[in-house]
Amino acid sequence: MNKAEEGMVFNIQRYSIDDGPGIRTTVFLKGCPLRCPWCSNPESQNPDPEISYRYTSCKKCGACVEVCPHGAPTLTEDGISIDRARCAVCGACVRVCLAEALKISGESMTIDKVFKLIRKDAVYYETSGGGVTCSGGEILSQPEFVASLFRRCKEEGIHTCADTSGFGSPEALDKVLAHTDLVYFDLKLMDAERHRELIGAPLDLVLQNLRTVAARGIPAVLRVPLIPTHNDSDENLNAIADTARELVPDATVHILPYHKYGANKYAAVGLRYTLDDLAENTPENLARARGIFESRGLKCEVSQ
Amino acid sequence: MRETATVNRDEIKNVTVLTDRLQGLKREWENAEPQVYVDDTLLFTESWKETEGLPVDIRWAKALEKRLLECPLLIRDGELIVGSLTKFIRGNGTLCAMKPREIMKMVESGKFDRKTSDISSTRIDPEDLWALKADAAYWIEHMPKVSSVNAAVEFEMGSDVFDLLFDRGMVFEGRGVRYEMDRGLFQNYSAYGGGVAQVSVKCVEKGLNHVIDLCHRERERMMAEGDPNSHGTAQFLRKYWLLKACVISCEAFIKYAKRHADLAREMAEKETRPARKAELLRIAEACERVPGEPPRDFFEAVQCVRLYHLICWKESSDRPEVPVGRLDQLLYPYYKADKEAGKITAQDAAELLGALWLKIRECENLVTIPREQRAAPGSLLPNITLCGVDAEGNDLTNEISWLVLEAMAQIKLSEPAIYVRYHPDMDPAFLHHALECNREFGGGNPAFLNDQLGTKRYLDRGVPLEDAVNWNASGCLGYHLDCMEHMGGGHNISQLKVLELALNDGFDPRTQKQLGPHTGDPRTFTDFRQVMDAYYKQLEYLIPIMHKFKMISWATEIAEGPMSGLRVAMQYEDCIPAGLASREGGARYPEGRACWFGSRGLVDLADSMTAIKKLVFDEKKTTMGELLDACAKNWEGCEDLHRLCLNSPKYGNDDDYADEIYDEMSTRVPEIMQSQIDPLTGKKPMLFIGAAAGHVGIGKAIGAMPNGRNAGDPTCDAACSVMPGMDTNGPTAAINSATNQCYSKEYAGFAMNMKFSKSLLNTPEKIEKLGWLVKAFNKRDGWHIQFNIHSRDELLDAQAHPENHKNLLVRVGGYSAYFIDLPPGLQAEIVNRTMHEII
Repeated sequence: MNKAEEGMVFNIQRYSIDDGPGIRTTVFLKGCPLRCPWCSNPESQNPDPEISYRYTSCKKCGACVEVCPHGAPTLTEDGISIDRARCAVCGACVRVCLAEALKISGESMTIDKVFKLIRKDAVYYETSGGGVTCSGGEILSQPEFVASLFRRCKEEGIHTCADTSGFGSPEALDKVLAHTDLVYFDLKLMDAERHRELIGAPLDLVLQNLRTVAARGIPAVLRVPLIPTHNDSDENLNAIADTARELVPDATVHILPYHKYGANKYAAVGLRYTLDDLAENTPENLARARGIFESRGLKCEVSQ
Repeated sequence: MRETATVNRDEIKNVTVLTDRLQGLKREWENAEPQVYVDDTLLFTESWKETEGLPVDIRWAKALEKRLLECPLLIRDGELIVGSLTKFIRGNGTLCAMKPREIMKMVESGKFDRKTSDISSTRIDPEDLWALKADAAYWIEHMPKVSSVNAAVEFEMGSDVFDLLFDRGMVFEGRGVRYEMDRGLFQNYSAYGGGVAQVSVKCVEKGLNHVIDLCHRERERMMAEGDPNSHGTAQFLRKYWLLKACVISCEAFIKYAKRHADLAREMAEKETRPARKAELLRIAEACERVPGEPPRDFFEAVQCVRLYHLICWKESSDRPEVPVGRLDQLLYPYYKADKEAGKITAQDAAELLGALWLKIRECENLVTIPREQRAAPGSLLPNITLCGVDAEGNDLTNEISWLVLEAMAQIKLSEPAIYVRYHPDMDPAFLHHALECNREFGGGNPAFLNDQLGTKRYLDRGVPLEDAVNWNASGCLGYHLDCMEHMGGGHNISQLKVLELALNDGFDPRTQKQLGPHTGDPRTFTDFRQVMDAYYKQLEYLIPIMHKFKMISWATEIAEGPMSGLRVAMQYEDCIPAGLASREGGARYPEGRACWFGSRGLVDLADSMTAIKKLVFDEKKTTMGELLDACAKNWEGCEDLHRLCLNSPKYGNDDDYADEIYDEMSTRVPEIMQSQIDPLTGKKPMLFIGAAAGHVGIGKAIGAMPNGRNAGDPTCDAACSVMPGMDTNGPTAAINSATNQCYSKEYAGFAMNMKFSKSLLNTPEKIEKLGWLVKAFNKRDGWHIQFNIHSRDELLDAQAHPENHKNLLVRVGGYSAYFIDLPPGLQAEIVNRTMHEII
């Protein structure tokens, strides 16, 4: 696979209006080195294609069990259970599933194929000041693909936005930033120990990458997912705000309130959601967080 | 370019349309029990008896005159703008002469339905009931014993043609294509009402005395010099009488206004409250002046518009559909002058517009055909059109455009429906205002029409620019040049029904009759093109029949119908010299006069073809035989195949596989429909593609189809909306699909309905996002887009508990209606229409 020509994509969302200015097409890449427990796109974590199973649609007909050459699915009372170790993601089960309960999540797509879809909405980008956003997963895990997709966009005058957790090699970031108009950059935890423990990655690399973005003078939006009891302490938010003021004082801060819309998708790809009992933010909590950023003169919005 | 009219937005945003006065009037109307009003029908009958032996034009005019001079008047306390349809606060008028049997049926059943609702039926005074019954009985006795339309059609085409009509095979559908039609005085209720009599800007500006004067002079000239425009004796005499009828009608109209002046003065004399006394005297002054002479200020102009709308309505009484027209353009000069003279504020104007609004909405009528069969249930179609550009390209948006939307949003009545002629140079603040008002209104009002495309269609037909820019919305999804053409309702063909014939070798499973030609047993087809060809052959066979049927029935109606003098007045510049009413060819641009030629169910047709191509021929997942058997069983026992059909590619997702077939059919089908000239105009027939609500009716006659649709379900509601629940790639994909094919031909319809949840519009930023879609839709040459904004739960609850949702408004096709007033089938269809949630 030519890394600059083909990428692993799990979703392309058109009429995306919350991932940057205007009407956008967001290309979601598959594969992420982080394991944030609140992740709302668990199907984006595994870098390879996988079978996704929606039990609510399953009619328990057993067609998939019959057709699978590897014996991966078995029929249970609640539907099917998939032995992921056996599954070769050949797609035989998907083709026989009339209820559309099974699908393959993740497709290796060429730049041409992705770009053809992107182009379909050019008129909307133009009328709305929109463009293309690459999100994930982690886009820095597929820097060659993102860079060449963005280059293609820029050739046609389409605005580009890179949505990243900031976790990737400096070289990867360099490649992507060369064709990026706007960066959406996550900051979650400022305690290096907690960061490694909870998310599974070192904080210093993230901060180094944020400095690079600032040094390039590319406009940035800082995204702070606000996860009750995990990262919403005054201490942590103060630290994020101080860092923001120091490194990217012109950036807008977007607070992303915690939600559970993705919880159902964990089981679909054979993962377990661990935050079932976590309550959503109270309006007071959101206001408090917002106040912390605004008190330092930062522009701050709560996404809704 | 001229400088665009400056708009004081703050002043407009702060107006209160529903002042205490209007709130009181609105409440009084809402609480009033609807009542059947009989005075006008009795006066009509009386007049008809008096005029026996006279030419039909004169009889019609004299009947109007009698109604206008002798009907009871009503000026309610607090009213600023006057002119009531009936003597009741909420009355429903009717004319027995037009549909005596249907009225007799109502009288005998004791159940009186209204145009806008049959949730609550209309009450009738016992005395009136007796009079109405006698009136209906009189007309039943004096009707011709056979329908001359049906007799003529049968003589020329044989009786088999009736099998295709709405009440039989339902291949043809629409107004005037029923076999069982109540024969009124003029054979068919489409005869005199079919088509639009609208508020005439030119008449308002010149005054009707001017028109009367022109008629007199033309008659004198005819006698002094002869008339080269009239060919033959009959036409000469016809013109002579028609002009007289015009004079009688105009004079009666002026006298009707003066009767209001007299009444207002009389009331003023007895009035003890000085403020109300002054108002009554002002009303008297206005009604003394208009419509005979031009209005002198904004107040008189609004009063004048009111009277025009009312008279056009009364005159057509059974199928009024009177568009108000380009209200902002008509009223703005008066508003501007008053404002410059310091005589009026935006607040004053807002209250007057509100008063006009209530009066327009008051017009209701008794409708006698079942609600499911009506073209536009719940609607009265008094459309208002705003904005647009003029011949020099100037944006015509003005303060009245802003205020009209504000009036709509604040008053929250189902009608009038507003159409904004959107163009790229429109002030973004106005678009924002329109979308905000849409949210406040809550019912998908206004709709946005493509200004440039509307004008281009007329330019392509050879209409000069200065006239081509002057079009407005009419009917449920139509449009027409402002008082320069006649636009009538259409004969439609049900495309999905034609497909059902093609899939059954021309046989209709429902009526068990061979309605179409033998185009082969599809079970033997080995190639997808054979299916398409069978379809086209069916259509090629049926279209000439529809042409001929339409020509004979329409022309018979016109030849026998009353030739309205009032309509000659509305288009006086052209109709007076021609000596013809607009629908007979007297209009400046006569090619529209033979009515739209309509097509319904295009999306379902294309989706069905797509499913056949994919499942039977490309992927061979099923056979034609299996598929047709499953359709015949309405999918019973064939759930897997049903699922495959539902999951096959659908139009509306920007999916090339499906869109290619839609594009081919949306090109080829109109070509076949336009392959013959319209014999009544000598031009290509005008096409109307889509459906406002007729899709519910035609759907009932169609069995299960390969797109996965169940037997009897409504077909897709508009020509380019997506099959409900089937647009899964979001609004840009749906718009792309809808705008792939060429719109710039002379079609009407092609409305794009989108529904968003209320949460979509709760911030200015989100409104801006919706505005982007309007812009992009327009840029891609889309014609008509409108947004409903209710949550699905709200609608479901309204279905279950209509009593709690009396105010729930939805946009159906070309209009907004109260959700609870819609037929259950249409309700369900609206609920199922995809919700575009923005998370």
